[in-house]
Amino acid sequence: MTERIPIREDSFIEGPEGGILLANRCKSCGQVYFPKAVFCLTCFNEEMQESKLSRRGKLYSYTIGRMPASHFQPPYAIGYVDMPEGVRIFAPLKMMEDKPFSIGMDMEVVIEKLWQEGDKEVIGYKFKPSDTSSFEFSRGG
Amino acid sequence: MREVAVIGVGQSMFGKLPEKTVVELGRQAVAAALKDAGLNPRDIQVAYTSRLYDAMVTGQTILKEVGIRGIEMINVENACCGGATAFRGIWKEIADDHYDIGIAIGVESMTTSPIAGKLIPPAKEDLEGQLGMTMPATFALIARRQMWQYGTTIEDFAKLSVKNHHHGSLNPFAQYRKEFTVEEILNSRMICDPITLLECCPNTDGAAAAILCSAAVARRYTAKPIKVIASALLSGDYAYIQQDFTICPVGFKTAKLAYEMAGVGPEDIDVVELHDAFAPEEMLHYEDLGLCPIGEGARLLREKSTWVGGCIPVNPSGGLLALGHPLSASGVRNICEIVWHLRGQAGERQTPNAKIGLAQMLGGLVAGLERQGCVCGIHILAR
Repeated sequence: MTERIPIREDSFIEGPEGGILLANRCKSCGQVYFPKAVFCLTCFNEEMQESKLSRRGKLYSYTIGRMPASHFQPPYAIGYVDMPEGVRIFAPLKMMEDKPFSIGMDMEVVIEKLWQEGDKEVIGYKFKPSDTSSFEFSRGG
Repeated sequence: MREVAVIGVGQSMFGKLPEKTVVELGRQAVAAALKDAGLNPRDIQVAYTSRLYDAMVTGQTILKEVGIRGIEMINVENACCGGATAFRGIWKEIADDHYDIGIAIGVESMTTSPIAGKLIPPAKEDLEGQLGMTMPATFALIARRQMWQYGTTIEDFAKLSVKNHHHGSLNPFAQYRKEFTVEEILNSRMICDPITLLECCPNTDGAAAAILCSAAVARRYTAKPIKVIASALLSGDYAYIQQDFTICPVGFKTAKLAYEMAGVGPEDIDVVELHDAFAPEEMLHYEDLGLCPIGEGARLLREKSTWVGGCIPVNPSGGLLALGHPLSASGVRNICEIVWHLRGQAGERQTPNAKIGLAQMLGGLVAGLERQGCVCGIHILAR
């Protein structure tokens, strides 16, 4: 079987319900970080607690790249997704013909192969338009 | 702190010039600045040189070609803000009384760099860079928010590029001296929706140089020195504090610092040169420089206020979009442009009776730091 290596260690898990992103939270001031911070960049407290992020968030912005990027051939979609825990995540997006992107739409995490590196598959997180809308929150403008 | 003045400026031709070495481009700019100041190369006491790609003792390599050696030389890198950083370095050396006369140089050969013809990525190990982030993607993602939050349109972005290409057509140094229509810009190749090719700065080779000295020494060389009334350079904050990506915190903070130092406000500025690597970006900086309230950048453009001939011309040189963007050169080059306007030497693109001008640069894309750039430099000059 092909070896699968994560784009960043300890940043996600694949559960029975799908992908879950692993953030951490400062035990003192509550600030949440994704990717995880070694210590709290806000209050410098060193006691951090792992925090599993929700599987769904809302699309803050998106674009379709039409020129090659480091590991992606065009067209590829990328964007920011706002999570209910208060973090905004940059990630590749999965394009679905029947669900064109729009700001504010519900997105969910998927764990997939991002690219091939020799005989290894680099896996990581993406977001795709979600089937169900199960929460409401607002953030930013 | 001593008062500092600019007494000489110069730039090389800007364009796709792969046959010209960094040394040749730099030599052209330095020779032009020395001639402009009426200085002997031996008069230069300190040099700061900025370059990003493949840099090693670039200053020494260029300056030996014009007869300058044996003095203190510092080489700096600060992404697109490198040139502004070199200029500030010389300003500090003189303001703090270490030296009387120094030269700031910015140079870049983009066509011979490792990223020639590619989208500029973040540093190699950057997580977001690996996930597909690039410079135009950054501003495409922000542009979509500008459209969503403020009703900015793709025609506004195209009109911004029409403006800067019109300005470029008036500038003999510009890489592109051609006018474009809104339709031509919108129909050019899509790079990252909604940003098209003609809304992106091109790959450019070029160099610029500025000679600074103490106000007392300036009087020996010129009756009309251009005073540096503010020099400000700050780095950005963490991205997680930035709730609204259409607002550039480091741009606001650096502008505030510069205005306070100069004792002037945005209403006093006659001409501006700023970092317009992508058309949507220029409108954001109208806001962080205080030229208009947040969300009204597109209105300022639609009213033609920022065109040559408007009440606050922005990027009369053609900006990075039309004049071109050799990364580390641009921060020195845009100060040269301001100096020419303040002296009344800007030819067809001259801002009438310009007394105070502002040169801004922004750069550096790093995962985890604020989105428009992680370093901003602003200089305000006055005659």
